[in-house]
Amino acid sequence: MNTRMNRRTFLWTTSAALTVPMLTFGSSLAFAARDELIVRIDADIGNLDPANRVGSIEDNIIIAVCQNLARFKPGSLEWEPDAAKTIKQVSETEIEFELNPGLMFHGDYGEMTAEDVKFSFERFNAPGDAGKKAAYADDWGALDHVEVTGKYTGKLLFKHPAPAIWVIGIPDGSGGILSKKAVTELGDKIATTLIGSGPYLIKEWKPNDHVTLEKNPNYKGTDSVHFQRIICKPIPEWKTALLAFQAKEVAHTEIEPTAIPQIKKDPDSVVIEMEGIDYEWIGINVEKPPFNDLKVRQAIRYGVDVDAIIAGAYSGTVQRAKTLLAPRLLGHWADAPVYQYDVDKAKALLGEAGKTSFDCTLTCLNDARTQATAQIVQANLAEVGVNVKINALDGGAYWGMGEGDKSKDLELTIIPYSSKFDPSFQTQWFLSEQVGVWNWQRWKSPEFDKLHKEAASITDPNKRAEKYIRMQQLLDESASCIWITHGVRDFAHAKWLKPAILPNGSNWQYRYFKEA
Amino acid sequence: MLALDMSTGLATFIAQRLAAALLTLAGAIVFLFIIIQFVPGDLAGILLGPRATPALRAEFAQRMGLDRSVPEQAWLFVSNAVRGDLGNDIISGRAILDMVLDALPNTLQLAAASLLISVTLGILLGCIAAFKPGSLLDTILGVTSVAFITTPAFVVAIFLLLIFSIELHWLPVTGGGDPGDPLDRLAHLVLPAAALSIGWIGYLARLIRASLLEILSEQHVRMMRAYGVSELRIVCHFALRLALVPMVAVMGLGIGDMISNAVFVEIIFARPGIGTLIYSGILNRNYPVVQAGILFTVLTYVSANLFVDMLNALLDPRIARSLKQAA
Repeated sequence: MNTRMNRRTFLWTTSAALTVPMLTFGSSLAFAARDELIVRIDADIGNLDPANRVGSIEDNIIIAVCQNLARFKPGSLEWEPDAAKTIKQVSETEIEFELNPGLMFHGDYGEMTAEDVKFSFERFNAPGDAGKKAAYADDWGALDHVEVTGKYTGKLLFKHPAPAIWVIGIPDGSGGILSKKAVTELGDKIATTLIGSGPYLIKEWKPNDHVTLEKNPNYKGTDSVHFQRIICKPIPEWKTALLAFQAKEVAHTEIEPTAIPQIKKDPDSVVIEMEGIDYEWIGINVEKPPFNDLKVRQAIRYGVDVDAIIAGAYSGTVQRAKTLLAPRLLGHWADAPVYQYDVDKAKALLGEAGKTSFDCTLTCLNDARTQATAQIVQANLAEVGVNVKINALDGGAYWGMGEGDKSKDLELTIIPYSSKFDPSFQTQWFLSEQVGVWNWQRWKSPEFDKLHKEAASITDPNKRAEKYIRMQQLLDESASCIWITHGVRDFAHAKWLKPAILPNGSNWQYRYFKEA
Repeated sequence: MLALDMSTGLATFIAQRLAAALLTLAGAIVFLFIIIQFVPGDLAGILLGPRATPALRAEFAQRMGLDRSVPEQAWLFVSNAVRGDLGNDIISGRAILDMVLDALPNTLQLAAASLLISVTLGILLGCIAAFKPGSLLDTILGVTSVAFITTPAFVVAIFLLLIFSIELHWLPVTGGGDPGDPLDRLAHLVLPAAALSIGWIGYLARLIRASLLEILSEQHVRMMRAYGVSELRIVCHFALRLALVPMVAVMGLGIGDMISNAVFVEIIFARPGIGTLIYSGILNRNYPVVQAGILFTVLTYVSANLFVDMLNALLDPRIARSLKQAA
């Protein structure tokens, strides 16, 4: 009797336990209060140390939690003073700054001084544990040292002119000013415990569940942040992120282009479509026969239908690229030629090179879109007489090609690279010194190398732009790259929200997020 | 004398199973080490990424013991793992053991909830089907059970999300819930647990039905019927107890299956757990974290099987007795 009663009780209890939450919690979970914002991030945070951060997820938290000498204006690459009362370039190699007094670090780490600025920037180039180089050391590679001239004043002194510092250094994650005392005391814990003086502080981090940013009550800067707290939820899967957005569980997320029509049907949601600045291309190894013949490379360029790739592999959701630097970047070559698919011209060029048919290998990543691209290239080149074998690799094996001169065996390669706002970041991978590392075209040009060095060392934007355009012309003449796209970044957000996103799509300025 | 033989047999059985479990675990550790050796490219380079200088790669290789011979590395990995030292996460610097222990309870909760749902509903549906074999209800339950078995957990997950989260707004899509709020935790558990258990509900329903029908056709059951014992009492009180024995044996595999499927379900529901940890480790090519996650999955699987084997031996003394005779 007891056994029967127990089983029955057990079944009832289980059913009730499963049913009660269905009846009571649903709608209360669906909408968050407006002093709280929940955004989706595509991965959990890894390392919040500005010098060793993993990527833009940490970047966005760093610039919300820390103050920089200068910061980007909302959604713009123009900067304005942040922690600095004044900041100015006094010569090609010197920047003077004066801090606002009274900027307090979170916790009991005191007031920000010029010593903290010196410590925060110089540590990028100081060897870490066991001589470890900081992951983002190159961002401050041009810095010679920081001279402290007073409690709140100092000078950034560079080894050579460093125009990129105004884009990828001072206002970016690398420019976050840390408390010297906190970093010294916390040691390695700085990777997950960020002490800044910005408008938000990290209240809680539950690995793989959420990171909560709370309004900093002691913030003395000029921003008036809207949300009391911002909760960043890591949701790696795109489909889950879309469902979470549709369930109104997150108010802001990046989405796949194919989800746009669905989101646009919802009157409570808004879609942001941003042209990307990254670049994907087909690299041709200029050392490997028969690709060492310029005519063969030109033939391949005419033999690949990039428009078909955009339509087929990208479902027409991106624009075709015609050169290395994206339209919104300094040095974009607006008049770059667009090579239309022309089988006859390709065959004629092959004939001039004394070829009618040959076999080659196309190496690429093994994700669905890249493989679709590879299959279109394979079909295109078959028309020309080139038999392409596709070698699709997983990320580990693919990026391993950058080591130990393994790239010498590559022939055609589909390569996706990410960009930064300064063109020097993009052009560096095409230098002669990168052959055997990341220059998989193995194309060497002393003129390109010289221009890269010159352009990175002058501050006049017009002169820099001229040099970058010339560099892209040299790349075009080499016929070593077939540009596919700069990509696209699409976002969905609740209608009541006004997000702030920098033009690369990766950097979100949480401090400027507010209600529409 | 019989009792002594029984206990000796049971002890032998447990010792054998324990040895087999340890052997499986050791095999898994060695296998995990070997597969990392087959990751294409230089492991230090892969972990540190494209910005790493040759000097940094060399320093890292030395720190991680990657510059040693393969047997030395294998020994280092095994001996450290046995001591509970799984190293530090290359990205955040956190102890990997801490990361795994943070995530493990979420996965175990999910697996336990799924087990509870599948056993409860599986037995219930199996009993209903066996009560009137060949009836319309039995046919419907049969078709439903097969549909449950053949539908992958991730497909069920998407459907459940579309219905209960998007359309009805009843239950949350992502996360594990507020640790300080049990009801919130429960709300976050319902859909993942349902998605994970659905296949096993169908499987257990079929298993219980088949076992019950076999038992119900035996002589002693016919005798009970002849004495006028009600069919409900025969099924629920007598036959079900016997039918549960094969189910317990199968649940050893079931727990393992649930833990491995929990990986996919956790990814779909963005639920913090071992699955999410392994997945993010794969995305970041953070192989030490992946190794540790898999190691704990294997450990849980082996422990669950060991427990089920012991439970089975206790429930069915013939197992221990047969082992004793074999010895």
